[in-house]
Amino acid sequence: MADPMLELRDVRLVYHRGRVDEVQALRGIDLVVDKGEFVTVVGSNGAGKSSMVQIISGAAKPTTGKVVLERRDVTGWPDYKRAGFVARVFDDPRVGSAPELSIEDNLALALARGKRRTLGFALRGHRRALLRERVARLGLGLEDRMHDRVGLLSAGQRQSLTMIMAGLVAPDVLLLDEHLAALDPATAQRVLGLTAELVAEMDCATVMVTHNMDHALRMGNRLLVMSRGRIIHDVSDDAKSALTVSAVVDLITGVGDVVSDRSLLTELENAE
Amino acid sequence: MLINILVDTLVTGLPLVPVVLGVFIVLQIRQDFDLTVEGSYAFGGGVAGILIVAGVNPVVAMIAAAAAGFAAGMATTALTLFLRLPVLLAGLVMNMALFSITLRVLGLPTLSLAGMQTIFSAVAPAPGRAADLATSAVLGGIVVLMLAAFAVFLKTEVGLALRASGVNERMVRSQGVSDRGMLILSLGMSNALSAFGGALTIQMQGYADVNMGSGVFVLGAGSVLLGMLFLNPGGSQVVRIVLAVLLGGLVYRLILVAALRFGLPAGDLKAVTALTLIIAVAAQGYLAPAVQRYTVRLRERRTPANSSARARIGASHG
Repeated sequence: MADPMLELRDVRLVYHRGRVDEVQALRGIDLVVDKGEFVTVVGSNGAGKSSMVQIISGAAKPTTGKVVLERRDVTGWPDYKRAGFVARVFDDPRVGSAPELSIEDNLALALARGKRRTLGFALRGHRRALLRERVARLGLGLEDRMHDRVGLLSAGQRQSLTMIMAGLVAPDVLLLDEHLAALDPATAQRVLGLTAELVAEMDCATVMVTHNMDHALRMGNRLLVMSRGRIIHDVSDDAKSALTVSAVVDLITGVGDVVSDRSLLTELENAE
Repeated sequence: MLINILVDTLVTGLPLVPVVLGVFIVLQIRQDFDLTVEGSYAFGGGVAGILIVAGVNPVVAMIAAAAAGFAAGMATTALTLFLRLPVLLAGLVMNMALFSITLRVLGLPTLSLAGMQTIFSAVAPAPGRAADLATSAVLGGIVVLMLAAFAVFLKTEVGLALRASGVNERMVRSQGVSDRGMLILSLGMSNALSAFGGALTIQMQGYADVNMGSGVFVLGAGSVLLGMLFLNPGGSQVVRIVLAVLLGGLVYRLILVAALRFGLPAGDLKAVTALTLIIAVAAQGYLAPAVQRYTVRLRERRTPANSSARARIGASHG
């Protein structure tokens, strides 16, 4: 089982180092995520969740510490070089796809993720068929709109498309950065189902950051609670299944952090 | 009169289509401003001119001009990547430097190609209507080939990455595309095309001039905006992109040629160039949404079932 896909070794991230407005975003993160593990990450605002995602994706470089992907030290690699290993779904549905390009073109772009791009045609016959089939699985009827601009799609449709794009080339690490945050509850529910399906198929290491305690508990087999740049709780398997929303909220507030209204409101919704 | 205007438009407009394409790549696809194209247009004209006067095969001279333009684009890229200058400022600086370089290449401010072997020598030996038509045919062939090659390129994996890179840099990076690579590619291609256009222009007009690049960027940008107005190409519609470049370039030229023919002094042309761009921008802002609303309404009539949804889409994207 122990097949580490992603390792963070004593990662620290400091913004504006040595200035008055110095921010310690991460204060020594040690994390090993194995193949097939699905980790959900919760924490209050400013806990370092997004910073950790930035570090794993390569969008930010750690001030000290190491990032290891599949036993390769990639600390110095920029994000576009890591794209072959890491697939990322952003919180903003508009970031994950190019609005001016068609659905088909966006998918074709993702089909070459992490590979050397050539002067061969991006869309060939068998690729078209494969992409169409993948999109058809969404059940949104997008397979009949392959030539439509992505800018015409709704936020939910765009985020669903981005999920499909992330899975086109099987990644080693799948990063979901609050990818349901911008969606209405019903759509979020649907994309969540899609997430579970895709993750089950991909057999990679998955890290999902969320503000929704309920999602954090229902999804995945490991839960991380972050606070002020550190991982303060790491709960796996059975212990995680036994957790309740209020227990997780207690874990966060127990160290003096505030749980955002967003998380509490969802809790109320679920209680009703 | 009308025929004269049209022939003049083709003869003087077609050599500029490569420049318009170059401006389109940076302005519309990359959504950036590169003023190097003005310098590389004159630079390409200068390099091709001096080679043709030295008796070099004109096709070789044109390839050399494109290579020179590519090098100019690389210099701008280097300023951007290593010194972190914005493309706009780097292009402005390179444009100035290229003036002196072009003057050095030419030796004199103006270089006549009279009596030299150009790509038009065989088809247009003596000036006149027939020569103009033959020149247009040769230019038309070159431009169509170039646009077709560009359309094919846009459909490749690299071309697709380029199309996405200007609109959504974060997404493109997360898909494994180096934005530095895309900057090198776009500025290199754009300036090579501009220099190629300069090489075509000097052969058409029979002389190279160190000042010929002045105003070319505005002309290119105006053409792009005009073309967009006619066809409104999105990133996916490769054919529309290519047609917008061709039509935009020619219509822009048509306006200038018509202004000349109707008796405006040549000195006023720069003002007409600027004014046309302003009108094109204004039309983009005010006319295009109106046209779009109209097309949406037309579509509604055809498919009444989902008319309300379409109208909403039209309104939010108009």
